[in-house]
Amino acid sequence: MSQQTQHRHALEIINLSIALPNGVRLLRDVSLKLEPGEVRALVGESGAGKSMIGKTVLGILPDTLKITQGEIILEGQHLNMMTPWTRRKTVAEITALIPQDPLTALNPLRKIGPQIVDPLIRIRGWEKDRARARALELLERVHIRAPERVMQSYPHELSGGMRQRILIAAAFAPSPRLIVADEPTTALDVTVQKEILKLIRELQKETGTAVLFVTHDMGVVAKISQQVTVLFAGKVMEDAPTREVFTNPAHPYTRALIAATPSSADLDRPFSPVPTELIAELHAQVARDDALWQGKKR
Amino acid sequence: MTALFSIRDLHLSFPDRGNKPLFGPAPRIEVLKGLTLDIPEGRITGIVGESGSGKSTFGRVLVRLLDPDSGQVLFDGKDIATLDEEAILPLRRDLQMIFQDPMSSLNPRHRVWRLIAQPLKRYGRGGTKAQATEALARVGLPAAFADRYPHQLSGGQRQRVGIARAIALEPRFILADEIVSGLDVSSQAQVLMLLKQLAEEMGLTVAFISHDLSVIRHLCDNVVVLNHGEIVDAGPVAEVFENPQSEVTRKLLSAIPLPEMDDDWFND
Ligand SMILES: Nc1ncnc2c1ncn2[C@@H]1O[C@H](COP(=O)(O)OP(=O)(O)OP(=O)(O)O)[C@@H](O)[C@H]1O
Ligand SMILES: Nc1ncnc2c1ncn2[C@@H]1O[C@H](COP(=O)(O)OP(=O)(O)OP(=O)(O)O)[C@@H](O)[C@H]1O
Ligand SMILES: [Mg+2]
Ligand SMILES: [Mg+2]
Repeated sequence: MSQQTQHRHALEIINLSIALPNGVRLLRDVSLKLEPGEVRALVGESGAGKSMIGKTVLGILPDTLKITQGEIILEGQHLNMMTPWTRRKTVAEITALIPQDPLTALNPLRKIGPQIVDPLIRIRGWEKDRARARALELLERVHIRAPERVMQSYPHELSGGMRQRILIAAAFAPSPRLIVADEPTTALDVTVQKEILKLIRELQKETGTAVLFVTHDMGVVAKISQQVTVLFAGKVMEDAPTREVFTNPAHPYTRALIAATPSSADLDRPFSPVPTELIAELHAQVARDDALWQGKKR
Repeated sequence: MTALFSIRDLHLSFPDRGNKPLFGPAPRIEVLKGLTLDIPEGRITGIVGESGSGKSTFGRVLVRLLDPDSGQVLFDGKDIATLDEEAILPLRRDLQMIFQDPMSSLNPRHRVWRLIAQPLKRYGRGGTKAQATEALARVGLPAAFADRYPHQLSGGQRQRVGIARAIALEPRFILADEIVSGLDVSSQAQVLMLLKQLAEEMGLTVAFISHDLSVIRHLCDNVVVLNHGEIVDAGPVAEVFENPQSEVTRKLLSAIPLPEMDDDWFND
C-alpha cells in the first residue's frame, strides 16, 4: 500500500475484460499505465476497442456491455469499489473527454458559449465571468480566429474542424488531470493538427495533464506520444516506449501499421493496407486464446 | 479535356450574427472570394486547404445546396447558380454527394437496402431491393448487408453504403466531403481504391474534399488549394506537390506527420 502512495499513476488499468451479454469478449485482458504528464497513444484499426477503453475509464460504457474482469484505478483510487455517485464525482473531478464524433457531440440547439462555460460553473464551481474568460482563452489557444463570434454561434454555422477544436478547448478548460482524447484531430487539416498536437503538449507540460490519445494514425503516434499501446481485437499486441516502437517494433501487426502509413521514403507508393493474411492469422490467434480462456473458466 | 464544371468569379457570404448591430441587417462574412476554375470531366479533383478555408462551402455550391452571391457555376454549359428549383430538379440526380459521416444524413431506422432504394424511387428509376443489392455488390458488400441497419455497420462499411447510394443513381458528378477522415488506414485504402475504380469504370467526375494530402496525392488527378476562400494553388497533383506555388501548400505538405521519430518536428 505504501508503495502505491509513493508512486501514483494517473491511470492504471489492470486485466480489463468487457463482454457482450452473450459472453463474447470485446476487450481481452487489457492492462496499461499512464503517468502524470505523459501521453500514451492507443492505436489499432477500427473496432479494436480503443474507444471502449476510454469509455470504461470515464464510466460511460453502454448498459448492455459488462466489465467481466479487471480494475480501473484513477490516481490511486479504485473506481470499481466506489458507489456510482462517488465514481461519477471522482471521474468528473479528474478527467475530461475529447469525444470521437465532433459532428454529433455538440448540442445543435445551443450556442457554443454556454456549452463550454456551463460545465465550468457546474463542475468547477467558478463564477460566470471567470468561466467565460477561461473559455475565450482556450478558444484562442486552439486557434479559433474570432472567439467572441464563435461563442455566439450555433454548431451548424461552424466548419467541421472548428467544431473539433471547440471540443478540445472545452476539454482543457477545467484543467483536468487526465484527458481521454478519442481521435481528436481526424477532422483537422495537417497544419491545424500540428498546432493542436503542439497545444496538447504545451498544456500537458504546463499542468501535468496525462493524455490517453486514441488514434489510428501512426504518424501522429510518433509525434505526440511517449508510450504506445497497440490493440487488435480488444487485445494488447504491444506496449512499449514510442521510440522503441518506431526504431524496433516487436510485433508484426505494429510493423504492418507503420508500413501502411505513408512515410518520407515512399510518399508516392500506392495504398498498402495491413495484409489480410496477417489479420486472419491474428484473428485465429485471438480465437485460440479465447478457447483456452473458456476452458480455464470451466 | 472538357470541363464538366466551369466556375467563374464565384462569391459567397454568410451573415455575421456575432457582430449584428442592434438595428438593421447583420454584416456579412465573405467565405468564397471570387473562385475561377474548371473541373475536368471524368477526373478526380482534390480540394484541400486549412480548416475553415471554404472547402465544404464550395462543394455545397457545386451540388446546389447553397446559392452563391454572384458568379457563374456552369455545369455542362448550364449556369446552375441561377436555375430555379424547378429547373434544377432534373439535374439533381446527376449531382450526388457523400459526407464524412453518412450516418448523420441517413435514417437510422431504415435498413440499408431502403436507404439505397429511396433516392432511386424519388428519381423514378425503380427502387427495388434487387437494385439495392446490385449497388451493394458494386461496392464489395455481400447481399446480406441489405437487411442491416446503419448502426450494425463499421465506419468503412457505412462509407461503402454511402458510395453505393450515390452511384446507384448513375450520376455524372460526385462530391465526396472528407469521406475517409474517420477511417483507419486499411479501411481508408479500401474505400479509396473502390472510389477510384468506380470513377474509372463509370467515367465519373469526382470532387474530393480532404485535409489529408497523402490521400489526395494517391487518389486525385488534379488538386485545388483553398486559403481563406481563395485559390492559392491549382494543377495536376504531381506538379503542385513537387513545386508548390504558395506558402500555404508548402506548410500543408511539411505538416504531414510521418511515422518516424523526429524530435525537432514541433520546432519548425
Ligand atoms: N454498444 C455496443 N454493443 C455491441 N457491440 C459494440 C458496442 N459498441 C461497440 N461495440 C463493438 O465493440 C468493438 C470495439 O468498438 P470500439 O468503438 O471501441 O472500436 P474502436 O477501436 O474505437 O474503433 P474506431 O476506430 O472505429 O472508432 C467493435 O467491434 C464494435 O462493433
Ligand atoms: N451556415 C453558415 N453560417 C455562417 N457561417 C458559415 C456557415 N457555414 C460555414 N460558415 C463559415 O464559413 C467558413 C468556411 O466553412 P467551410 O465549412 O466551408 O470550411 P472547410 O474548409 O470545409 O473547413 P473544415 O476543413 O474545417 O471542414 C467558416 O468560417 C465557417 O464558420
Ligand atoms: Mg473509436
Ligand atoms: Mg468542411
